[in-house]
Amino acid sequence: MTLKFVPSICSYCGTGCGVLFQVMDGQLVGTLPMKTHPVNQGKLCIKGWNLHEHITSELRLKHPLLNTFGRMTKVGWDDAIGFAADRLKTIVAEHGPDSVGVLVSAKITNEENYLAQKFARAAVGTNNVDHCARL
Amino acid sequence: MQKQVRAWLEDGKVDVFLAYKMDCGHPLPHAFTRERIDETEDLVTGPARYSLEKFATQIAARHPEKKIGLLARDCTQRALNVLAVWNQLPAEQVEPLPVNCCPSALKPHADCTYLEAPATGEVKIQCGQDPRQSIEAVDAQEGPERFARWMYEFQKCIKCYGCRNICPVCFCKDCSLEHPDLIGTGNLPPDIPIFHLVRAVHMAGRCIDCGLCEDACPAEIPLRLLYGKVNAIVKDLFDYDTGASDALSPFSILGDKPTLTPAPLLAVSQE
Ligand code: SF4
Ligand code: SF4
Ligand code: SF4
Ligand code: SF4
Repeated sequence: MTLKFVPSICSYCGTGCGVLFQVMDGQLVGTLPMKTHPVNQGKLCIKGWNLHEHITSELRLKHPLLNTFGRMTKVGWDDAIGFAADRLKTIVAEHGPDSVGVLVSAKITNEENYLAQKFARAAVGTNNVDHCARL
Repeated sequence: MQKQVRAWLEDGKVDVFLAYKMDCGHPLPHAFTRERIDETEDLVTGPARYSLEKFATQIAARHPEKKIGLLARDCTQRALNVLAVWNQLPAEQVEPLPVNCCPSALKPHADCTYLEAPATGEVKIQCGQDPRQSIEAVDAQEGPERFARWMYEFQKCIKCYGCRNICPVCFCKDCSLEHPDLIGTGNLPPDIPIFHLVRAVHMAGRCIDCGLCEDACPAEIPLRLLYGKVNAIVKDLFDYDTGASDALSPFSILGDKPTLTPAPLLAVSQE
């Protein structure tokens, strides 16, 4: 029997509530609000309370999928990234950098968001960057 | 405290002990075990209060053979009584270790603060229910005013289900609050006041006034006051003190003994 409580931050929105993941016998069984966290002070919204469900969900994507002629095929990461890069390059070459937009998210970290906008501005060459928090 | 928990684990009195440990500067719940006994040196008793008895119930459901020790404030003791009464956590499987509870004039050192109601702002005093009021003060409000004040509180609900999730005595596999035939799904605020009243009725003979729900409520709805009223009715009608003992609740319907009998005094006065 093992029971662990792993402190973390909710990844759903920009508020960044403190959560505790409850891990029993190596299995993620629940999410709790962190009582002493200065941001949420022991409270969570319904998304935070159910964080563990998207981790254990049957529907979670575990591999990159490539849409070829309407069929989703499982491919390796190198193939998936290579394909995406080729298509992006072609689109930028044909229609210009402003034909591309980058949507970033509260569900990724600050640093990843920074990288994404850097990618848009420096690699693609567009200011078309938007974020789900700017509703 | 640390020595006692260590001794309990070493003697095999318990297989796991639920308490708190400082982690990243926060007192977090922690399961102490014999295998990592040195961790008991970092055991702390407060000040945060997590639903340790709920964790114990979850462990017991998976591992009926494990003996579970836990820090027990006064409300934890009451919760353990209720959990035993409702066949969720057998009393012989748990070993509570009493700790200091809420502060009072008589007991300045405390590991908890939940009996101190939070300060209330002007708007809430004007439109809502101040959580620091007594049940009598709420009862003294005129009917329509009382209703309007409660509705003001309920319409703030964001339906996070935190009150149910954190409650040590909410253990149902299928919860009525998520049943589409009972409570409309998808809308915010949820169907009021039915959402809150369904939960309030379920807390009759069950709520042990720990305050965890109110503490977890992002909308600061005075849930404890509501459930306190429900259990005052249970006390009046059935002379049942929720959580005070392992006496069967008047609402337990399992078994062959009828339990739903009114209090003796009331039965006489009705004749
Ligand atoms: S719990 Fe809710 S409010 Fe808090 S960070 Fe997660 S999504 Fe945002
Ligand atoms: S005070 Fe709230 S959390 Fe505690 S037992 Fe009652 S309903 Fe449950
Ligand atoms: S709210 Fe009612 S149905 Fe839901 S878990 Fe609590 S007691 Fe059970
Ligand atoms: S904790 Fe408060 S906001 Fe959340 S569902 Fe319960 S009453 Fe509503």
